[in-house]
Amino acid sequence: MKKFVNDPENFVDEMLDGIYRAHPEVTHAGDDLRCFVRSKQVPGKVGLVTGGGSGHLPLFLGYVGENMLDGAGVGGVFQSPSSEQILEVTRHVDQGAGVLYLYGNYTGDLMNFDMAGELADLEGIKTATVVGRDDVASSVPGEEHKRRGVAGIFFLYKAAGAAAARMMPLEEVARIAEKASARTRTIGVALSPCIVPEVGKPGFEIGENEMEIGMGIHGEPGISRDALAPADEVVDRMIERILAEQDYTQDKEVAVLVNGLGATPLEELYILYRRTAQRLEAAGAQIRHTFIGEFATSMEMAGASISVLQLDSELEPLIAAGGDTPFFKKLAN
Amino acid sequence: MQGFGTDEIAALFARLADVFAAEKEALIALDGKVGDSDLGLTMAKGFGAAHDAVAAMETPTPEAQLKTAGAALARAAPSTMGTLMATGLLRGSAAVSGAERLETAEMAAFWSAFRDGVAHRGRAQVGDKTVLDVLHPIAETMQAQAREGASLDAALDRARVAAEQALEDTKDLVAQHGKAAAFQEKTRGIQDAGSTVAVILIRTMAECAAD
Repeated sequence: MKKFVNDPENFVDEMLDGIYRAHPEVTHAGDDLRCFVRSKQVPGKVGLVTGGGSGHLPLFLGYVGENMLDGAGVGGVFQSPSSEQILEVTRHVDQGAGVLYLYGNYTGDLMNFDMAGELADLEGIKTATVVGRDDVASSVPGEEHKRRGVAGIFFLYKAAGAAAARMMPLEEVARIAEKASARTRTIGVALSPCIVPEVGKPGFEIGENEMEIGMGIHGEPGISRDALAPADEVVDRMIERILAEQDYTQDKEVAVLVNGLGATPLEELYILYRRTAQRLEAAGAQIRHTFIGEFATSMEMAGASISVLQLDSELEPLIAAGGDTPFFKKLAN
Repeated sequence: MQGFGTDEIAALFARLADVFAAEKEALIALDGKVGDSDLGLTMAKGFGAAHDAVAAMETPTPEAQLKTAGAALARAAPSTMGTLMATGLLRGSAAVSGAERLETAEMAAFWSAFRDGVAHRGRAQVGDKTVLDVLHPIAETMQAQAREGASLDAALDRARVAAEQALEDTKDLVAQHGKAAAFQEKTRGIQDAGSTVAVILIRTMAECAAD
């Protein structure tokens, strides 16, 4: 393992200490560094809370900020935050309009967010839940509810964040987040494994000339392990999975996210985007918004994912809206 | 016995705190076979906190005691089993809303809600080699005993026997959930650690009722 760490046990808390020192616009609720919140909450606004394991920056806490989210429960590397941490964040961000939980579809996170919601309810705080389940590789069509949440959750944050900033009520923000979730598809490809600091070595291997399409962001097995192909061919094989589930005859406009998993250079992401755009346009889609870079990583994993959100007249302006967080800045367009 | 009133429920949580403290090492060893060995620690911590919170209540009702215990357990034991047991207590507390004493019928309602809460939160089914495989026979036995008009101590003792048998039966099952699921076939022949927690719960409750 070749990483910048001190005691691996302190990996998450030292990372958080660094983030708090660099960005005064975020802080922690109470004494626990892992209860990550905006320093200033907006009175009367629906609170948006996410959370999940560490090891995916800028996911999850990186989207806490203006026009985006209000708080995040921060778990250990690839581990869920506790229900108590989520509850503490919930209490802090609730401004009387209720709190929407927005996180990826993973067993541990589901359990802890549900528990936190139940405890919040006992304290008179209203909560609602929408989960990201965009990874087409993790379950077949018809079983979409079982899919894992990956990079496409960024679109849920973006849409729900802009909706909440417009002071929409909890039910509306939840409806919009759910709509964005239902219209987002992601497919990933991994070229090399990742290492959990406390473990110290990769949990699996990917051969020098191999790639794995559909691998999850914790190294969950994908759809196929093949010889690495030219970039266009890799995109072709990936995008098929998304095109099979989206029809651009009616709603033509899409937002595209080409995401690096941690060790893949931006140059390569643009090479992937080039082919992605060609294929989407050939399928009749019009690309309205493009996001390229690291949005949801898996430590030092080499690889990328492609996410496509099929827009409509309601979602489009919410994706177009500006946003300002320590890790994500966008002008309104 | 005249059912569980607030004094008996307070005594039950005091006893559970003692029992889980005493069973800590045994649970750690059991969980270490296919899990991450934290079960003994989290249960000792969780039920210790539940006891403290219940003991500190000034105007208790059975519903409020069970709810307080559940919330305290969730905070002190943020592990999977801590969260599941907390959920069980919270759902169970709602099922006995308004009752001043828990007789056989109320206790049956408590265990049914406890089981349903755990199944819902854990998204597991009976037969998946989880704590549900013991909670289900406890709830079913209590319901049957309530229908027959059995006294609470007799009903709890039958439920204890059913739970111990069910725990024995989990050895033949294969784990489908959590860290243990990664071991699949290797879990066959091993007593499920989470199910052991449920047996301790019903056994301690039955002992309290018999005293």
